[in-house]
Amino acid sequence: MKRRWLLVCCLGVTACLVRSAIAQEQERSGKGSAVVTAAGAATVNSNSSHDRRSPEALRSSASEQRAARIAGEKLFRANCGRCHQPPHKFPPRVMAMAIRHMRVRAMLTDEDMRSILSYMTQ
Amino acid sequence: MNRTGPFLTRRGCLRALLWPAALLLLLAPGAYAQAPSDEDVKPVPLLTGSAGFITNFTGGQPDLHPIGTPLVLVPIGHRWVFETRATFENDLVEVPGRSGFHGGPLQKEVEYAQLDFLATSYATITVGRFLTPFGIFNERLYPVWIRNLQSDPLILPIGIGPSNASTGGMIRGGFKARPQLNINYAVYFSALSTASPVDSDRFAGVRTGIFMPTARLEVGGSFQHLLEQERSNLFGFHAIWQPAPLPLDIRAEYANSKRGSGYWIEPAYRLSQLRFLQNEMRRMQLVARYQQFFTGDLISDALPPINTKECEFGLNYYFIDGLKASGNYGRQFSGRGNLNIWTMAFTYRFVVPLGPAGSAR
Repeated sequence: MKRRWLLVCCLGVTACLVRSAIAQEQERSGKGSAVVTAAGAATVNSNSSHDRRSPEALRSSASEQRAARIAGEKLFRANCGRCHQPPHKFPPRVMAMAIRHMRVRAMLTDEDMRSILSYMTQ
Repeated sequence: MNRTGPFLTRRGCLRALLWPAALLLLLAPGAYAQAPSDEDVKPVPLLTGSAGFITNFTGGQPDLHPIGTPLVLVPIGHRWVFETRATFENDLVEVPGRSGFHGGPLQKEVEYAQLDFLATSYATITVGRFLTPFGIFNERLYPVWIRNLQSDPLILPIGIGPSNASTGGMIRGGFKARPQLNINYAVYFSALSTASPVDSDRFAGVRTGIFMPTARLEVGGSFQHLLEQERSNLFGFHAIWQPAPLPLDIRAEYANSKRGSGYWIEPAYRLSQLRFLQNEMRRMQLVARYQQFFTGDLISDALPPINTKECEFGLNYYFIDGLKASGNYGRQFSGRGNLNIWTMAFTYRFVVPLGPAGSAR
């Protein structure tokens, strides 16, 4: 009886892993085509979209993004690096779960959690 | 009250779980009202954790120790997390008269199973069975892929209960006291449970830490009051320092109880600043640890029976993210005789999303 339950559990876990792998593949291919489409659209509309914003606005937006990235990296090194080596960058939804877990474990504030998540998913 | 049988004291356990649960219910609607969603990206359930194969030679006696610790993380809505970690391990030793290594049955244990409610930006409420936040090693450095040296510090059993975990409730969080000063805290209560292997002591405690990001220094303290047996107080201090100009981590901890006291200090230096063989050197880390244990007024099965000193030196090599090889040598000095401790280990950290992982929503 015990063996049968073990077998059922193993099959269930395997099915979950396979489902997850297939879903990731689909997601990746979907994302790939979306990126291609977006890139195409961006090329077509590049002139018009660039025209809408002034060079000053673009410069300040870029510097804001850079500052946010640096702040996120600093927070990541200070908070996560205290206990373990920096991990690879995971897919966004995986990183979101890991960060939510670390918010509890490492007692991060909401603000720090968002900043680290934004850095790790860029 | 009879506390000798293998049971969970129903009233104590109910009380321990009901107070945080009541608080949780009171705070939940307020938290939803005051804050929008937590993150911009929807989290996915994860199967993560670590696996390792650790070989010890203690006083010349070999001991093979395969270990796997899967951790399941399940997000529930925007503000809830269910997390549980189990351990599967075995000790394989040489049996006189038989060839090869032999072990008993596989040891299985649910280390913790907790439900977290992210009540506000600065407070999380946890109920269930959780790792006791006394000092830093048990909660933050315990997994085999994180720890720099594979052996446990001698003072680890102080303050963490009989199976490293508590059964009850906890409130924890962190906040910025000033722009360059973060404070973190954990306040907890545990009920008595004698049902092995999920046993726990009845105690209440607090741990707090101050982190200075500019100096990259964290210092903190833990306090616990035992609400059974000798009703004693336990306390400890911890520190982590990562000097900015060097790839160096220095961690230290002190713990004191009626059953013993002691400390450990562990510097770890990553060789990434060396100018030769840079690809190899940046993957290597030199580690050392010195620790001392002093016996107390009462005895404990988990702690050394006599005063003990130990020094260890090790080398870690990080192949890829999550995969690490370690080798270390230690010498233990005590009244029972001195002995050499050799350890070799391979450890791996895995992350498997249990759902689509790529998209933002």
